[in-house]
Amino acid sequence: MYPKEIEKYLLKVQKPGRYVGGELGEVIKDKHDVDVRFAFCFPDTYEIGMSHLGIKILYSLFNEKPYIWCERVFAPWIDMEAEMRAHDIPLYALESGDPLTEFDFIGFTLQYELSFTNILNMLSLGGIPVLSKDRHDLNHIVVAGGPCACNPEPITDFIDIFFLGDGEDVDLEVIELYRACKREGKSREEFLRMAAQISGVYVPSLYDVSYRDDGTIAAVTPRDGAPAKIEKRVILDMDSCYYPENFVLPNIEIVHDRAVMEIFRGCIRGCRFCQAGFLYRPVREKSIDRINEECHALCRNTGYDEVSLSSLSSSDYTQVVPLLRKLNSWAKPEKVSLSLPSLRVDGFSDDILNEVKTVRKSGLTFAPEAGSQRLRDAINKNVYEDELINTCRVAFEGGYTSVKLYFMIGLPTETLDDVAAIAGLAKKILDTYYSIENRPKGKSPRVTLSASSFVPKPFTPFQWEPQDSMDILREKQKHIKDSITSKKISLSKVTYNYHDTDTSFLEAVFARGDRKLNKAMLLAHERGMRFDSWSDCFSLQNWLDVFEECGIDPAFYANRRRDFDEILPWDHLDYGVTKEFLKRECERAYASQPSPNCRENCMNCGMKKYGGGVCYEKR
Amino acid sequence: MKNARIFFTKDGACKYISHLDTNRVMLRAIGKSRLDIWHTEGFHQHAYITFALPLSLGFASTCESMDFRLLDDNADMTAIPDRLNACLPAGIRVLRCADAKYKPADIDSASYEVRIEPMTDKDISIEELYNRLNTFLAQPEIPVEKKTKKGKKTVDLKAYLLDFSTDFDKTVNMKLRLPAGPVLNINPSLLVGAFETYCGTELYSDMTRTGVFTKEGRHFE
Ligand code: SF4
Repeated sequence: MYPKEIEKYLLKVQKPGRYVGGELGEVIKDKHDVDVRFAFCFPDTYEIGMSHLGIKILYSLFNEKPYIWCERVFAPWIDMEAEMRAHDIPLYALESGDPLTEFDFIGFTLQYELSFTNILNMLSLGGIPVLSKDRHDLNHIVVAGGPCACNPEPITDFIDIFFLGDGEDVDLEVIELYRACKREGKSREEFLRMAAQISGVYVPSLYDVSYRDDGTIAAVTPRDGAPAKIEKRVILDMDSCYYPENFVLPNIEIVHDRAVMEIFRGCIRGCRFCQAGFLYRPVREKSIDRINEECHALCRNTGYDEVSLSSLSSSDYTQVVPLLRKLNSWAKPEKVSLSLPSLRVDGFSDDILNEVKTVRKSGLTFAPEAGSQRLRDAINKNVYEDELINTCRVAFEGGYTSVKLYFMIGLPTETLDDVAAIAGLAKKILDTYYSIENRPKGKSPRVTLSASSFVPKPFTPFQWEPQDSMDILREKQKHIKDSITSKKISLSKVTYNYHDTDTSFLEAVFARGDRKLNKAMLLAHERGMRFDSWSDCFSLQNWLDVFEECGIDPAFYANRRRDFDEILPWDHLDYGVTKEFLKRECERAYASQPSPNCRENCMNCGMKKYGGGVCYEKR
Repeated sequence: MKNARIFFTKDGACKYISHLDTNRVMLRAIGKSRLDIWHTEGFHQHAYITFALPLSLGFASTCESMDFRLLDDNADMTAIPDRLNACLPAGIRVLRCADAKYKPADIDSASYEVRIEPMTDKDISIEELYNRLNTFLAQPEIPVEKKTKKGKKTVDLKAYLLDFSTDFDKTVNMKLRLPAGPVLNINPSLLVGAFETYCGTELYSDMTRTGVFTKEGRHFE
């Protein structure tokens, strides 16, 4: 329940429903009955956080334990923050209305780099010292997990513990250890030292980083018995992995308001720009029966009439059509529709289309990522032009008239010809439409192009690559525009947009940043910067000022080519993929040479050591 | 197929659910309850529900209603409140389900309870606020600007104030009845806004809709 004193301000802010909790499915416990209180913080608005699958899984998992009470906390939007600061209302959790200071754990999920400043802001709004070194007792342990934990170096001054890899097991082990330490009266330092011994736990304060004169890392040295390499956690058997039977059901509209069912983790493809594709290896599928059972229960328990089958590339589920048929045996009569997000161009079959409601009649979306075959080979996006044209032809014949295509610009090895080929591909699709005899009559076709700026990320074959400068990215945006020859082809908002190049630059700085950036993060926070992923709040100039004051050259992180043998800020973290493999893949990219996917031919990326998943499937 | 009407309360956290979101919450609750009700046809089929009188964001209510059609003519209406309550957030409670007696078009007025207080104790005392409210309401005319589809126009709220009474405890309390329904709707926040301007100090008001009435002055059932 929200604190009574906020009532006076709620009607002065946009969407007050964000701040009151009281949803069906929220878990209320008596705080005297639990040993550990966990504040699960999502460093963005309620609507975005509540749409996120990870929080739903961990919220239910934690609350199943009688001795833990896990509650939700979201970043208040700037209007609410102003009211809270003006009236001294600390950031509170939605279930109890208690401020963050009442919690043992304050946990953040790191989904995108541009949410980092929100973490600091939420801590300070909650009355928690933002710097780890200013927190002393055995409480207020600030933990974080999620994809950006793979290079958490820019925020090591603020977070006590990072969780690497699948969170379901390691989180509970650390909570259990905390409970024991609390019972035995251990100190915060003792607890952290012991936690560092758990696999998948990274306690940054136990590592010293030294630098060379050129600013690159000389060495990362563990202390107090902390492991030299911290290995990510992997849950191999998805059928025995916890999945919630129910969700907290929001009272207000959120971004994705539907049931979500995870069908597998990982991705077989290995697109070289895609960090998720490497972080979550190896592919581990859930069985049809398990999905079917859990999915049916979830729809019944939530009352949702739409379920999204989530994964990085849904059509790569080995038995996707039998799965859809099985689900539809109850979903159709119960008026529940299935959707398969992230469909690949080559996964777009009639069989699938008959079973799902992927898209409304109005629009189709595909992500070829690059305009020319040469560049698609270099980034290992194995999508072929004739497949794309064929798929569009089928769709046009089926009555679709508009297609949206997603691309990236600034990809390694990209030339202006590759950029022009984006417009060329759009033209070929348009021509395909006109070549169809029974095309939809009376409607005008539309091809929309979206081109976002590429950000090189850790644990990908492009982790050594420089990001294109903002000037070059803008020039490339303009080049797409100039290469378009038909009025029926248009550019989406992100393309040809200064905001995108600016935020991509900052993202590139943090994605491959080191510990020196902590200083900038703190200064930015002190200057009131937050919600960097929102154009309402983001200002590149403010960031450039911060960097300058801290004596940091952001181009060192974003635009510099690293040597293969440089010690990278995340080298002491082990996500399974070996550096040798990434190097090989990078060299193949230079040679415009694609690689087979895990099911075609194993490229020995290093994941076999976990002993399961796709690496051990029969080929 | 038969028409059914449920009556429900809305308060606590659910005060902050807009009318559109209330609609969404109800649809999901119906899905979860597995009540057999009529769905719209077409591409996106959904349960067909209608509300007699939308409630503004921020208002509590003891007398909301929603209509739908039960597919089974012999369905047991008395079981419906419990089934829906199990599927709704705690701030929405279904009190009863019955045949729809009146049409939404028969609605003519609604009553409210408004609790008014200053933003801080320092601004003005409750007693003083109470006295000012009485003088304010005793004016022969209370002109306010009301936004309509055709632009702004000035209306005299006094003429619309069908009934009212005031008292005070920890807050200043006002009970009042105003026109409501398809023809003319006067939101009590207009009156509170005018009072706020009259007082020259920011006020907080907690509003509850307590009754909906037909032209004949009967409770809308
Ligand atoms: S070891 Fe082979 S099969 Fe396993 S994830 Fe790596 S490339 Fe794929």
